[in-house]
Amino acid sequence: MTQPIAWLDGAHWPYLAVFAFAFLPTEIWRWLAVLFARRIDPDSPVLEWVRAVATALLAGVVAKLVFTPPGALAALPLWLRLAALATGLAIVISDRRRVMYAVLGGEIVLIGGGWLLV
Amino acid sequence: MKVSPDWGWQRVLLAGMRDALSLPAWIVCLSLVGVGSLARDVGYPVGAAVLSTVLVWAGPSQVIFFASIAAGAAWSAIAFAIAFASLRFLPMTVALLPLVRRPGQGVLMQIVIAHFIAVTTWTEGLRRLPALAPQQRASYFLGFGGACVLTSCFGTFAGYYLVGALPVPLAAGLLCLTPIFFLSSLSAGVRHVSDAVAIILGFCLAPIFERAIGGGFDLIISGVLGGSLAFAWRQLSRRRKA
Repeated sequence: MTQPIAWLDGAHWPYLAVFAFAFLPTEIWRWLAVLFARRIDPDSPVLEWVRAVATALLAGVVAKLVFTPPGALAALPLWLRLAALATGLAIVISDRRRVMYAVLGGEIVLIGGGWLLV
Repeated sequence: MKVSPDWGWQRVLLAGMRDALSLPAWIVCLSLVGVGSLARDVGYPVGAAVLSTVLVWAGPSQVIFFASIAAGAAWSAIAFAIAFASLRFLPMTVALLPLVRRPGQGVLMQIVIAHFIAVTTWTEGLRRLPALAPQQRASYFLGFGGACVLTSCFGTFAGYYLVGALPVPLAAGLLCLTPIFFLSSLSAGVRHVSDAVAIILGFCLAPIFERAIGGGFDLIISGVLGGSLAFAWRQLSRRRKA
């Protein structure tokens, strides 16, 4: 568990932490985009690189959540978590407009499998 | 729902809310239920969990935040990991803003609009906004995003108290919504082989670097490396064609 910064600790600490370490690092990109949207060419190579890094990062977040899962998800075996992801992926690859069905299919595999195992 | 071009902003705002409540808002709501339970696991108050949904409005950032606290990562590492995982908002916002921008619109209004941009509102916005009259798009998007945030606050609040009481498979299912939804929507957005390369590299490098480096910086390094390789791939394949 990460401990609060000592001299800022108190009842308000969780709110302060959300503001400083979650809100600001996320919101800064939305602000920068507003400031620079007019000047950035959406097809420029720099943005293409940023988009590629953002995509890889997001995929990394997915991997992290599945390989070192939080909370109750850790109670289910790794192969089941991967099977749920693969189900969603297969549905999206067969028809890329079916994101909602992909989520539903993956969830059915995970919850159904979990029910049989736990 | 069809929006007539002569409707005033209030009616357009309501139409946006109604369209969100027809399904997308509930998906986001469910995906943030898990965040509520994570906040409870680290002993943070329910107010901080709901505040994170209102202020951060990005599921992965919130999950990284609470899961990193549980794992004992340094505050600087948490902030860096979230900043890099949120980098996507820069290109996403740059891509969406031209749709809603109007002459005479203030910077503050654009900042408010930008705040509502998250994966769901962004994909839905890109799909729905072009069909609307330009002067109606901002109200529609604010209505749509506002409804999503409201249901998600409710989801975060409910998750804080409920998830612990749920049977394990259901609680796990709620926590797995974010990864399944993200991988699916990322894959649905693939336009070029290099996009798929970025997804595969990001997915494979993150767990490897977590073992090798750790401390919260592994995510950044795997993203920058995987993304740069995918970008190089794209440049090379383009040059080969030219």
